[in-house]
Parts: sequence; C-alpha cells; structure tokens
Amino acid sequence: MLTFQGTRNFRIRLALATLSGKPIKIEKVRSNELNPGLTDYEISILRLLETLTNGSKIEISYTGTTLIYYPGLITGGTFTHNCPPSKSVGYFIELVLYIAPFAKKKINATFKGLTSSHEDYNAEGIRFGLLPILEKFGVRDCQLHILKRGFAPTGEGEVKLIINSLISTPLTLHALESSKFVKIKGIAYCCRVSPSIVNRLIDSTKQQLKRLGCEIDITADVWRGESSGKSPGFGLMLYTDNKKNWRIFSEDIGNASEVPEDLSTRVVLSLLENLENSKIVGSNQLGLVLIFMLLGKEDLGRLKISKHQIDENLIWLLRDIKQMFGIEIYMKEDEDEEDAFIATVKGAGFTNTNKKIA
Amino acid sequence: TRLQGSVKKTWDITKLIYMNNIDPADAIRRWKQEEEEFTDDESEENIEDEDEDFFTKKFDASKAADANLDTFIPKHRPVEELKSKWNDQKLDELASRFLGSTRKILNGNDGD
Repeated sequence: MLTFQGTRNFRIRLALATLSGKPIKIEKVRSNELNPGLTDYEISILRLLETLTNGSKIEISYTGTTLIYYPGLITGGTFTHNCPPSKSVGYFIELVLYIAPFAKKKINATFKGLTSSHEDYNAEGIRFGLLPILEKFGVRDCQLHILKRGFAPTGEGEVKLIINSLISTPLTLHALESSKFVKIKGIAYCCRVSPSIVNRLIDSTKQQLKRLGCEIDITADVWRGESSGKSPGFGLMLYTDNKKNWRIFSEDIGNASEVPEDLSTRVVLSLLENLENSKIVGSNQLGLVLIFMLLGKEDLGRLKISKHQIDENLIWLLRDIKQMFGIEIYMKEDEDEEDAFIATVKGAGFTNTNKKIA
Repeated sequence: TRLQGSVKKTWDITKLIYMNNIDPADAIRRWKQEEEEFTDDESEENIEDEDEDFFTKKFDASKAADANLDTFIPKHRPVEELKSKWNDQKLDELASRFLGSTRKILNGNDGD
C-alpha cells in the first residue's frame, strides 16, 4: 500500500488513488498541531468520494491522523452534496473534475454552500477556467450553473455541475505554440450590496487594463433576493483567450470593508502575473492538465510550460504521479523560447472500464 | 573562503524533480542556483532570533503553510510590490502578446 504523510495534495492523492485503483494510506495528518487530524472539509471530501464511487472503503484512526482509502468503481450519477462553510464549492468540484469523466453514469451534481472564497476556485473559475480545459481532452458537454450565490459566512449558495460527456480515454495533447491573446473578458458580481459596487469594479478594472491597449469586455452580474444567500459580498473574475482557445484566468472576492477598486487592482495584477508566468495554461490549471495528459493513451503528449511555473507544488504533484502511476514527466528546454520547457508526458493508457463495457 | 573561479553546478530539472532524497523546496533552490547564497544569509539572520522563536517557529510555519498544501492557485507577491513591478516597460512587453494592442500607438501619440 502506498503511504503518504500530511495533507499535501490531499484531494489529488485521493483522485489518483481512485483512478489507479490503488489503496493509499495517509498518515501524520496534522499530528503536531493543537487540533490534530482531518478537518470537516476533508471528511466532507471523503463523503463525496463515497457518493461518487461504489465499493470504496475508508478507515480513519481514532484521532483522525491516519486514513486508509480503498478505492471503488467510479459510478457518478445524480447527487447533492452539502459543503461545510469552511470551504467553497470549488474545493469539492475540483476533485469531481479529476474523476467524473471516467464515471459509469453521467454526473448531475448539486453542491450547496459558499460559491466563492479566497483560497479555492470560485464558481466562475470552475466554469470559465477549468471546464474549457476538459474540452481540450474530449470531455465536451460540461456545464456549471449557478443557481444561488452564497458568500461567507452563511453561504447558502447552490451550483449544479453537469458532465454529460463520459470518455474512455482523454485525447493526447500537443500544445507547443504560445499564440497571441485576443481580448480580456470578465465577470463582476455581487450579492446583497449596492449594484454600484459592480459598476465601480468594472470601471476600475477597465481603467487599469486600458494601459494594455487591448479590447476589454466585463459583464455585470448582480444577484438579489432569495437567490443571493444571506451574506453580502462581491467578486471579480478576469480571463483572456489566446488564438488557440487556451484561457488564462484570475479571480478573487472582496474582503470585509474593502473598496471595489482595491479588489480590481488585486485581480488585475494577478492576471498580469499569470499572463507573464504562463505559456499555454496558467499555474492554476496546470495540475488538471498534467493529470489528464497522464491518463491519456500510451502516446507522448507535449505541453509548453513557463519556467516560472515550476515550483514546489508542481514537484510534489509530479512525485505523487510517479508514485501512483510509475510515470515520469520529462522536462526539456524549449529551443524557441528561453524561459520555457516542453513537458513530455507518456500516457498511462488508462481506460474507463465502465465505458468499455457499455 | 571559496576558491576563485569556482563554477556553480547546473542541475537538470527532471533529475531534481524525481530526487526523492531532497525536499521539493530544496530542489527548486538548487535548480535556481540559490543554494549557497540562501544558506549563508539565512544562517546569519537566524542566529539572533533562534532563542526566541525556537519552540514556536515550526508550529507557526506549518499552520500558515497548511492552506497552500492542497491547491494549485498561485500566491502572488504583495500588491504594492506588484504595482511597482508593472511599470510601462513591463506593460509594453505584455502588450506585445496581445493581438492588435494599441498600447504602442497610445505611447507614440500622447505618452499615455
């Protein structure tokens, strides 16, 4: 049995275990902290995995510092998941994206809780930033509908994730050309605050991005009444597509007593940084891309990445992938661009057995 | 003292990534050839603080880092630093990656 320590890549390790069918043991979970063991959102992730699969078995030690996970078959289907208020729905949906395209039944999942937070992908980030990535691998019919928005602390938001396209193997990716960006788009949204907040967000963002001299298109999204939860809040998401339809995005939400102009500055600067430090995909999409490249058929997939994207988190991911699938991802200096690598991934030849039988 | 003309080792990132005997943070440091400078500076800086923070430092660091252990969302530098970084020259560089950017024209006309 593969053994890991601590909460590093908690969801990815569970997802990789589910995909590879290998049981894993995670020990020393916050064993040196005042509140040792798994948190409420990690327990919730385990419950979600139980819902998504059939035959999986989870054993947790008395103190919660050790976990053994025996993966089952990915079944999918229709379900509702109530997310704890400590994490937004994005934390849970991210895990589903790794495994859902290989399920037996189409996914029609409702997630209830916070729709936005600082730490995880917001509903917009999933919808406009991650779902288009899945399309590149052949998972075409994916949708995320925001039924209710919910900001911290009360939440009460609701989103529906639909994955109608179940695949047997992801397409092999060859993304080697970093082409020009077309224009910057975005969404400014708010709940239970004055709609003028959204207008200020848009004005301030346009004012700052005007310096780039490109076309800018930001949509206002004001939520009122029962569909806006009970807590006030506002947020901004910006993205830009290149000519090859690869998208880079940044997003964040406003802090308490923060003015909208400060939020727009933060998101604009974050987008500029992401654009500067990326070649084809942003750092916030890289994990998903590499995992789907890994799951492809036994062929070489290639992706141009920026040298800035090689960080501690990426190395941890690559080591986990090697441990779980025995596959090394090879980094070769790019001949055309000095600050780029070509990541070459040999697919594991993963096949969705559910799809094959059907 | 170091020998004059000593050459820093250039690491192959693929090898570093899969060297399980070193921590990923160290791997990044070695790859960026920061190892020597970093250890020298750090050891000097930490001597004074060592007694005060001996018992608390480890706990605080793990707690702060806990939120970043399970996400790929990059943490950027503080806003003030980024504001000063993104000057006109940097924006020119980035604008050249946009199709039909009018930035050059604006600069030519009125120095916007």
